Amino acid sequence: MGSFLATRAPWYIAGPLVGLLVVLLLWLANKPFGALGGYIEFTEWAARSRRELGWRPLFIAGVIVGGFLSVPTSSGWRPTLAYGSFDVVFGSALWRKVIVLLAAGLLIGIGGRMAGGCTSGHGVCGMSFGSPASVACTVTFMATAIACTFAIAWMSGL
Amino acid sequence: MALKTVGFLTGVAFGFIVGWARLTDYDVIRDMLLLRHLDVFLLMMSAMVTAAIGTRLLRALQLRSVLDHAPITWTTQPVQRKHVTGSVLYGIGWSLAGTCPGPVAAQLGRGQLSALFTIAGLLAGIIVHDHVRIRRPVVVPDGAGRALTAVAGL
Repeated sequence: MGSFLATRAPWYIAGPLVGLLVVLLLWLANKPFGALGGYIEFTEWAARSRRELGWRPLFIAGVIVGGFLSVPTSSGWRPTLAYGSFDVVFGSALWRKVIVLLAAGLLIGIGGRMAGGCTSGHGVCGMSFGSPASVACTVTFMATAIACTFAIAWMSGL
Repeated sequence: MALKTVGFLTGVAFGFIVGWARLTDYDVIRDMLLLRHLDVFLLMMSAMVTAAIGTRLLRALQLRSVLDHAPITWTTQPVQRKHVTGSVLYGIGWSLAGTCPGPVAAQLGRGQLSALFTIAGLLAGIIVHDHVRIRRPVVVPDGAGRALTAVAGL
């Protein structure tokens, strides 16, 4: 078990586990699974239009903790600004990282808010409910992201 | 068990799985979107199928939710233009950042500090969207209004 946890989880373990979380959240709390709502409710709380932080921002806090707990499955916890081959594709200078990631985050925030969901909310949960909007969103953001990544790879020659 | 506890613990489990499956790595997402490795697609599809079977099982067994004892329900939505427009913007952002709202939080927990910039942008994007949306109902001639929203891409 120890050595199994010490390597990357294969898709046929991680995927069904995520699916079970969707089922569990619906069974326990009658709530649809999805990450984006936590950020939305957080901004509403920060803008004082929501009196207290609900379960969704706490879900995001949990994801941060869960990410920390997953560290032993790879290397040790070493905070770093390095970001894989992003540093090669866009350059490793800090200002480039700040600009590209802020712009990317902005698009994710505006787009996700408009579409009413993200990769987990529409792509997994909404798709499993058979929601037509989720099918349209998932097909659209998948196709766009694939096309955009190919375009960046072509332009950067990587 | 309170709703907030359930939300937090579900998040912990999700963050652990996302980190364990390395969905927090820029290169895992990039290789997925360059169609070099298809395992993340398989991960998402198996999650979706498991959830589809499980949620229908809950309904078929007519179970009630543990916390509020209400019948298990969910809603679906018809497709609107905002879903497609929003998802185009979202897809570009996902491609650039190599991450999305769930995994970016797990990145932070794993010590990948670049997540701070993505999260700052994400929160700013939500705020920008909500302010644009609040201003939109200003009365403008119908044609001009449509042209404006088309130019703004919103």
